[in-house]
Amino acid sequence: MISINNLVKKFGDKIAVNIDSYNINDGEMLGLVGNNGAGKTTLFRLILDLTQATEGNVTVNDIDVSKSEEWKKTTGAYIDEGFLIDYLSPEEFFYFSGRLYGINKGEIDERLKEFEHFMNGEVIGQKKLIRNFSAGNKQKIGIISAMLHRPELLILDEPFNFLDPTSQSLIKHLLKKYNEEYHATIIISSHNLNHTVDICPRIALLEKGIIIKDLQNENNSAEKELEDYFNVEE
Amino acid sequence: MNLFNELRIQGKLANKRNPMFYKNKSAKVWIYIGIGFWACYLIFFGALFAKAFGEGGQEAYQVLNSGLIFILAIDFLVRFPFQQIPSQEVKPYLLLPVRKKRIIDFLLIRSGLDLFNIFWFFFFVPFAFISMFRFFGFFGIISYLICIWLLFLINNYWFLLCRTLMNVHVLWVLLPIVFYGGVAAALFVPKHSVIGDWFITLGDGYIHFNLLCVLVTLLLIAALWAINSKVIKGQIYKEINKVDDLKIKHLSEYKFLDRYGLIGEFSRLELKMLFRNKATKITMRNVLFIVFIFAVVMSFTPAYNDAFGRYFIISYAFCAVGSILTSRIMSFEGNYIDGLMVRKECILTLLKAKFYLSSLYMLIPFILILPTVIMGKVGLLYVVSMAIFCTGAVYFTLFQLAVYNTQTVPLNTKITNRQSSTSMQKILTFVGMFLPMFLFYAIEKFCGENLGDIILLVIGLGFILTSSIWLRNIYSRFMKRRYQNMEDFRFSRSTI
Repeated sequence: MISINNLVKKFGDKIAVNIDSYNINDGEMLGLVGNNGAGKTTLFRLILDLTQATEGNVTVNDIDVSKSEEWKKTTGAYIDEGFLIDYLSPEEFFYFSGRLYGINKGEIDERLKEFEHFMNGEVIGQKKLIRNFSAGNKQKIGIISAMLHRPELLILDEPFNFLDPTSQSLIKHLLKKYNEEYHATIIISSHNLNHTVDICPRIALLEKGIIIKDLQNENNSAEKELEDYFNVEE
Repeated sequence: MNLFNELRIQGKLANKRNPMFYKNKSAKVWIYIGIGFWACYLIFFGALFAKAFGEGGQEAYQVLNSGLIFILAIDFLVRFPFQQIPSQEVKPYLLLPVRKKRIIDFLLIRSGLDLFNIFWFFFFVPFAFISMFRFFGFFGIISYLICIWLLFLINNYWFLLCRTLMNVHVLWVLLPIVFYGGVAAALFVPKHSVIGDWFITLGDGYIHFNLLCVLVTLLLIAALWAINSKVIKGQIYKEINKVDDLKIKHLSEYKFLDRYGLIGEFSRLELKMLFRNKATKITMRNVLFIVFIFAVVMSFTPAYNDAFGRYFIISYAFCAVGSILTSRIMSFEGNYIDGLMVRKECILTLLKAKFYLSSLYMLIPFILILPTVIMGKVGLLYVVSMAIFCTGAVYFTLFQLAVYNTQTVPLNTKITNRQSSTSMQKILTFVGMFLPMFLFYAIEKFCGENLGDIILLVIGLGFILTSSIWLRNIYSRFMKRRYQNMEDFRFSRSTI
């Protein structure tokens, strides 16, 4: 599905991402963890062709993301508020996003039902523009809009941020279910090790732009290793 | 005093490090050129008025002093796009262990010391030297200029008060209207205006540094300061937490656009952007208001019955409406560019929708100009030709900015001083604004009015009919520059 080849991204002299080779298979659910500045968001931007690689490339289904736009039809992503059109209401934004993928309003309404519990009655029918929603609800709107067209590849940067504990739990279930039901490839980044370990069978640990560990996480087996890495003895 | 200095330095740094200048050195140069232009303009008028006003029964300075209120009214209006009010600026300082009143007082002092308050000196200094020097000498002029500065300080604090109150409720807009309108009426309605005489006396008092006049002026400044301080303190939290459109009563759907597929979808997005955001809504409303005034004056008065009316006003009507939003093409989208870029060919469809919708906007100046046609001031062929030429050629020019505009413009804030344009924006907007005027003038002189109009109409049609080709070309060029543009959009978005 995704192949990263000799990928380097520099900001001036600073190397933000430096990955020789890394493959993410179809239907895999990968968690990306690392401290601030490790290069998680930059890697996402490189995969989504939102920033230019200094060297190397990323391919999605053998398509170089910087050379063609075909991969966009089957990809959904939410990184930050720069993905939201904040002068629309959530419904308008969902319909707009849906129509870009050829999905009509009725179908969008139908698909939104899957997220009813997650939205907790605070998103739809509020007669509010997105800019006036709380950070948590904006996060929900962004995540839902990325999933509505049922993409084969779903990329979410810090999906648990701003969410209350119940919503964090719900999004974990939604992502797991989505991965199983549609055999979708999902990549998430998070600072929350528990959530990442809970739902991701594979975890990549990023440090200074380099994937220093590629952990298989069957039955939460990666938990100990990650805790050891992140716990600093004083 | 330390606090004052600290905050003053911070304010200077905020301006200096604003991304519009930080990443755009040419903007600085253009701003200095712009200031220089207006300074020269005011010097010219100062000298001109000193000569022209002195030809009647009164001296030039008396005529000017009797109409000081009009200069103050213009100054009041000019402050709107440039001046921020303390309740909007106070937010970063609220968590400092300093009393709010001290911070507000500092912001009021900074506002009073702003060089903006002496910008009118470019007008008053030459005026005073030419019209007063022979009567009152150097000290008369100095005294007059000091008092004029105090008068502009009153206007400054009066503006801050009105602006703060307008943020409380829009109806406070009536306060300056009633004040300036009332004074203007008191000047013009009675046969012998007491207010006019009062202003002349005030002006004379300023020239002679009459203590009573100066004292009254200082008292007014102090009173306005105190009122401002009290009102602003009460408004701080309201301003910070201000949300204008928390609940929307009616969300327009523009269902008629459903039948146009993705183009219709993006057109709908454009319309919502236009009507739901202050930056776009206010800009469009202001331009339409100016065009409306021009059209009314041209239609029903003898004014502009000349080449200026034919070439400038008509061309301005179309070009201003066309360029006002298009000159910032993609800058508004910079707010959500990442979301658009992860969807296939979104930008191309967006550009097409923008072009079709912008072409429809041309109907508005066309309708506004129609009375001018009906009144026989200009021919229908000329207006149609101008509309088609602007839709084709002017948009072709301005849409090139989609490739070069890389600064995100905040959508739901009023356009204030923290904004400037890039060189490319200025050049292309200038070409877009003035090219039709000069072309129509030149071609009509060369080929005659009808033939000239037909030639330009055909050229305009050519651009419209080939729009899908040049829009795709713009899209390809945008995609080639996309990484740089996205970086810049992100950078400017994070710092606005």
